[in-house]
Amino acid sequence: MPTLHEVQSAFAAALRGGGESGLAGWVVAEDFSAPERLRIYRNSCRSVLVEVLRMTYPAVDRLVGPDFFEIAAERFCAGQPPGSGYLNDYGGAFADFLAGLPEAAAALRYLPDVARFEWALNCAANADDAPFLDVADLAGVDPGQHDRLRFAPHPSVRLLELHHAADAIADAVLARDDDAIAAIDLASGPVRLVVNRGPQGVDARRLTQAGQEFARRLFAGERLGEILDGAGPDGAALLADHFVHGRLSGFRIAAEVCGAIQQ
Amino acid sequence: MTAPLHGPAGPIPAAAGIGLRFRHHDAVLRERPRIAWFEVHPENYLGGGKPIAYLERIRRDYPISLHGVGLSLGSADGLDGAHLARLRLLCERVAPGLVSEHLSWSAVEGVHFPELLPLPLTEEALAVVCRNLETAQECLGRRMLIENPSSYLRFRHSTIPEWEFIAAVAGRTGCGILCDVNNIYVSAGNHGFDPRHYLEALPPDRIEEFHLAGHTLRRFDDGRSMRIDDHGSRVCAEVWALYREAVARFGRVPTLIEWDTAVPPLSVLLDEAAKAERILAVETMHADAA
Repeated sequence: MPTLHEVQSAFAAALRGGGESGLAGWVVAEDFSAPERLRIYRNSCRSVLVEVLRMTYPAVDRLVGPDFFEIAAERFCAGQPPGSGYLNDYGGAFADFLAGLPEAAAALRYLPDVARFEWALNCAANADDAPFLDVADLAGVDPGQHDRLRFAPHPSVRLLELHHAADAIADAVLARDDDAIAAIDLASGPVRLVVNRGPQGVDARRLTQAGQEFARRLFAGERLGEILDGAGPDGAALLADHFVHGRLSGFRIAAEVCGAIQQ
Repeated sequence: MTAPLHGPAGPIPAAAGIGLRFRHHDAVLRERPRIAWFEVHPENYLGGGKPIAYLERIRRDYPISLHGVGLSLGSADGLDGAHLARLRLLCERVAPGLVSEHLSWSAVEGVHFPELLPLPLTEEALAVVCRNLETAQECLGRRMLIENPSSYLRFRHSTIPEWEFIAAVAGRTGCGILCDVNNIYVSAGNHGFDPRHYLEALPPDRIEEFHLAGHTLRRFDDGRSMRIDDHGSRVCAEVWALYREAVARFGRVPTLIEWDTAVPPLSVLLDEAAKAERILAVETMHADAA
């Protein structure tokens, strides 16, 4: 008699297309053969995962068409199945998978960037809840200590640097806006984005190179004084923008923890 | 607007409720439908943002049950600690009236399959399910319910009938049983057993919830057929009949209308729930009279 682990391991191999011979002998066949019975479970798993990816990557789906998307998604799911029952976390490697697909890479070289952008939106939408830090929360901090402030980003914050204008491409294809699609300059160079879920919902905004560096240092918890010293005259405005859009969740001074840092 | 039947988060009343799906969030908040309670899949609310914000608003007016599909109680490898920890946080946040899971498995060697996969019904599997369920109940600090799954496959080396298996799980772990009447009917059709025999074998004092759903009879060209538990249609007449017998046998307990694919307007679910409510009333009246 096989152990439970042996059964589950063989079942998993069969679901992933690795052969049914290990399991078939342990299954009651009767009217339906073991492969026929397994096919019901395999089809169900496959359709659930493809739909999860389709919901996470609607612009990719629109760009490649539903048939190609299904083929690509099935191949991805077979090679990189979920690791947990929390499927909102599933599919983060889809962009790299698409980058390795010769069919996609040749015709739509911006496709992986669109997927990276949509994954950032998905992560922002599903990130854990945390407070939004308000400037008023700093009222009790001695102004002499401001240089020593270190901030914690909201858990939804993601910084992206993409070769193509994936944000504009995704917006245009989802809106079916042919004029906007035609206006996109694929050779315009990299775009830098900050994506987060603020008080008004998920938000994606472009950053300048200086703004990207400011955000990177701010979200890494570097000292505010040093960040502002390197930012020049725009530093205060850059910092204010992060407060306005709810990208900060807490702060601390030296080793002392203040506010509501949640990481 | 009609008043809700029951107040905010608390025990699940012995009445009909419906499965809450994303497409109905706004309608529920807007219309405040006259329904006793809602059940949700916790896996849809383990993160932050909109889904949990909706659930927190809805639970102000309705009791909530958490019905898991991702814990994999039958895994020989044990439970996913991170998933269980997230479920505990959700329980603390939502204060559900009931927490339930399935007699099935979904994960092995770090890979998760989004399906309720069948177990070989052996003494080893029984020990594994009981151990995992005890771990989950201890972590959550509460009793859970375990639901009989529908299935399309059985194992040659199974030695325990499913109805005895699930009764043994309840006996050893102290959990309750979520009796899915549709699943009994589907599995009975697929494996050739008498669904009434299944009901008769369940311990009445452990039945704490019923589930009802639609399924599809898939007919093949060669005359064979398989019942597929797709939760995509109204409850069929045969399952309603079996439900009447279940209520007569086990009494009035919370009853859920599940609908997961091709989810219809909220009014259709409310209509199905009203039908379940009428059966609950009639059958329990008959039982009281007897």
